[in-house]
Amino acid sequence: MIQVDIQLKRDNFDVVVQETFGTGITGIFGPSGSGKTSLLNAICGLAKPERGSICISGKKVFSIEEKINIPVQQRRIGYVFQEGRLFPHLSVEKNLRYGMKAPDGNGMFNKVVELLKLGHILQSKPAKISGGERQRTAIGRALLSSPELLLLDEPFSALDVSLRQQILPFILKIQQTIRIPILVVSHDISDLLKLTNRLCLLKQGRVIGHDDYHVLLRRPELQTSFSSHSLINAVTMTVARVDEESGITTLSYGEKENWIKVVCEKSRLTYRKGDQIKIFISSDDIALSARRLPYVTIQNQLEGVIQDVIERGNIRICIVNVGFPLLVEITAESLKRMDIGIGYPVWCLFKSVAIDVAG
Amino acid sequence: MSIFSFTASELEAIKLSVGVAVYSSVISLPFALFIGYYLARKQFPGKALVESIIHLPLVMPPVTTGYLLLLILGTRGFIGQWLYAAFGLKLAFTFEAAVIASVFVSFPLIVRSIRTAIEMVDPGLEDASRILGAGRLKTFFRITVPLAAPGIVSGTILAFARSLGEFGATITFAGNIAGETQTLPLAVFAYMQVPGKEMETLRLVLISVLISLVAMALSELYIRKMKHA
Repeated sequence: MIQVDIQLKRDNFDVVVQETFGTGITGIFGPSGSGKTSLLNAICGLAKPERGSICISGKKVFSIEEKINIPVQQRRIGYVFQEGRLFPHLSVEKNLRYGMKAPDGNGMFNKVVELLKLGHILQSKPAKISGGERQRTAIGRALLSSPELLLLDEPFSALDVSLRQQILPFILKIQQTIRIPILVVSHDISDLLKLTNRLCLLKQGRVIGHDDYHVLLRRPELQTSFSSHSLINAVTMTVARVDEESGITTLSYGEKENWIKVVCEKSRLTYRKGDQIKIFISSDDIALSARRLPYVTIQNQLEGVIQDVIERGNIRICIVNVGFPLLVEITAESLKRMDIGIGYPVWCLFKSVAIDVAG
Repeated sequence: MSIFSFTASELEAIKLSVGVAVYSSVISLPFALFIGYYLARKQFPGKALVESIIHLPLVMPPVTTGYLLLLILGTRGFIGQWLYAAFGLKLAFTFEAAVIASVFVSFPLIVRSIRTAIEMVDPGLEDASRILGAGRLKTFFRITVPLAAPGIVSGTILAFARSLGEFGATITFAGNIAGETQTLPLAVFAYMQVPGKEMETLRLVLISVLISLVAMALSELYIRKMKHA
């Protein structure tokens, strides 16, 4: 757990943050220049706040009143920078081992190399490996310094879309393997939502919301923060059946099978029954219907009840409970024409190709 | 008389020159690393003044640098006086004086080169190293120095070459004593004063050229190797 209560001077405004971040991933979201990186720099000790204190797993690393300011190198923080910042003159292996405290008999080292699939490039120099490999090395290097807190600053921005999808499962796996708080900074909400539903919204250096995504979404004053971003549903599901012939994977959520189907490419047939995977459905890829449609190619039809409707210009975002909350984006006109609203039963329809999977 | 049969005093001059240049660059290096790093990375009051003072020998006539050294470190200079009284140490007109003169004259060159090289190293890499648990010293020697190595090497070679050619400050502060302070340029100068020594003069000139060329070629080779590594 990490407790932050700081005020940090910046050129145009102050960063004032009073928050507690628990184990697991928290997404720090805000436009460019809202103080996200400044917050990370203050936590790791690269920037010194004007006042306040910072506590990491019960240990005070900074406090103005008590005159504590533990130097950067003693804070035990893993920091993955936007550009990776691998040491160009060292091989991947030497980069990975740079922050290791003591020889661990290779236990931890081998585990991280395997987790991040770095075995084949250990002897290469950073300039000779791909962008995704570089980012994975940076993550591995941070992990091997046995941090009590992991900070990721825009870890995807240097990567193209397909590489982003490749990095996601690694970060998700880290979260399951090592139980430490992970703060991920991004200005792209769909990247963050693929990792976590817990968001901390920053604007002009202030925290304007810190809660589950679906809760934040319902707060009218936060609408402008989300307005220019497409909304994503991220759900963790269990593989129920893999049909190798058709390439279709059936997933289930919770107790009853929801029959959400994922059409997989060959590479995704590595799934086995019982695997937990995270899927993403864009809110504007889902349609609403008053009834189940029997004669239609759309395979996914989930029954639910509209819990809330959020107005955004002439768009309406319906939060439909289908066993889990599902965001559905429709026009105000459609909502009126169908004559539905909060409390109405609906069917959510989406094609199996509209589902994206991490990895 | 063949062009390569050196007299004892000529060999002495060559040995002396190389000795002065090696000592001078080896002594300069740690100070230049430290000062170069500070100038590249830190802001402090009076930085411009410090920079000017360090660079002064670059623009001052070397003879005046030598004269100032004599004023300060000579037996009657305010530090020289104390050195003699306390330790019986006489610096002026010794081999050590030749080394000191070379250090002062070549120092701006090595500092400049190292400073520029360190400025080119991304400070973000130093931050990354410290976050990974490395202290300032480890960060300096494992990240900053290796990444700035080409500049550090070429700066040291430059200082070496400059020391090799040092004349003005040396003759003023160390004198022109054969076998003690008479380095190659001073020997060339001495030969030039004597009629009929044209051959000897030319020989020493060629030797100077050769030593400088080898030094430059070695640094060039090293930098090339670094680039390909």
